[in-house]
Amino acid sequence: MIWLMLKLKRMMYISGSFSKAVFVLLFLAVQGKVSAQEVSEQEVSEQDTLRTFGPRIGIDLVPFFYYFTEPKIIGAELSVDFEIYKNLYPVFELGYSSTSVSEETFDYESAGNYARAGIDYNLLKLKDRSEHHIMTVGFRYGISVFKHSSENILIYSDYWGDYISEPHENSLRGHWIELVGGIKVEVVSNLYMGWLLRYKFLLNQNMDPVMIPAHIPGYGNGVDTSTFGFSYSIFYMIPLIKK
Amino acid sequence: MLSRILIFIISILITSCISVEICDDDNNSMMVAKFMTMKDEMPADSTVASLSLYGIREGRPDSLLYNQDPTNNFKVPLDPHHDFTRFVLQIGEQTDTLELTHRQELYGISYDCGFGNLFTLDSIGYRTGMIKSAEIKNDMVDAETKEDDVHIWLFL
Repeated sequence: MIWLMLKLKRMMYISGSFSKAVFVLLFLAVQGKVSAQEVSEQEVSEQDTLRTFGPRIGIDLVPFFYYFTEPKIIGAELSVDFEIYKNLYPVFELGYSSTSVSEETFDYESAGNYARAGIDYNLLKLKDRSEHHIMTVGFRYGISVFKHSSENILIYSDYWGDYISEPHENSLRGHWIELVGGIKVEVVSNLYMGWLLRYKFLLNQNMDPVMIPAHIPGYGNGVDTSTFGFSYSIFYMIPLIKK
Repeated sequence: MLSRILIFIISILITSCISVEICDDDNNSMMVAKFMTMKDEMPADSTVASLSLYGIREGRPDSLLYNQDPTNNFKVPLDPHHDFTRFVLQIGEQTDTLELTHRQELYGISYDCGFGNLFTLDSIGYRTGMIKSAEIKNDMVDAETKEDDVHIWLFL
């Protein structure tokens, strides 16, 4: 533990947003790992038991929360992961998101689909094979195919007279990568709950020469070249294999 | 130690969320013209004793747009409704008509400030001889003109 504290102290001096993100994720992972080990040690079985494998399908609850925020964002996200090798979980996430905003001098809309693919690595070492809690770090590559538009664009001019522009619309693709870290806890057999913290880096901010998208589905505000994201999901693992 | 780490994380989160932007009252694209003269075959700044400037607006009466004395430059908005902007310059007793032809494209300034027009200056015309020659120094005129921007030189 002392070693851990010294390590964390050294990492406090790391600068730069990338390093900060890695630091945050590692810190969260280590904190959780310590707590989970304390729990698991109470229930360690001396003999190995059968372990269940299968695709774990999840639904993110956070997009439903955004329905009640201002501006309102309508969306949904599903995920699936599978342990293909010990502690390695390929992950696929699919979602839809849309928003519309009415400003003083323009109206804005953005809507589209997105997908992410990546790998999670489980850091949690459980002695009882029947336990399926995991604590992961990993990465994602994200792509969003969406359309954004602005209408009723007004440019004030006292002298020449106010200018109303033609609407602007563009179909776009956004690309980004994410560093992720989080936990999944099996609350009852095959049913999981868990959270995931994401630190995202946008790869093509200038995808539209006229205006930077205010809402890139799956990423967030395109004005920010890096941003945080958070998922809180419920999962069900289809128990296909026991070995 | 734990509280310091938590403060560190929270400060990163907060600073990444805060942004303050100050917007102009309007998003006019302001062109800056500077008066010049030839001295020893080299361009040099020129100051006029008094300047009055009127915009020529189709279907609307011309009205005073700029009045300054003395000055060596003027800053005026370009007309977003046409592909040209015309002004009448009055320096003392002399007048001339300045005509700028341009193209324009819409661009987003920011989500707080809205949209503006990016003008590209194509040519400068003048009629009576008060303006002897003109030169485009920077053909891009946007809605975020800075203090030291100069778009055209007018030689008197």
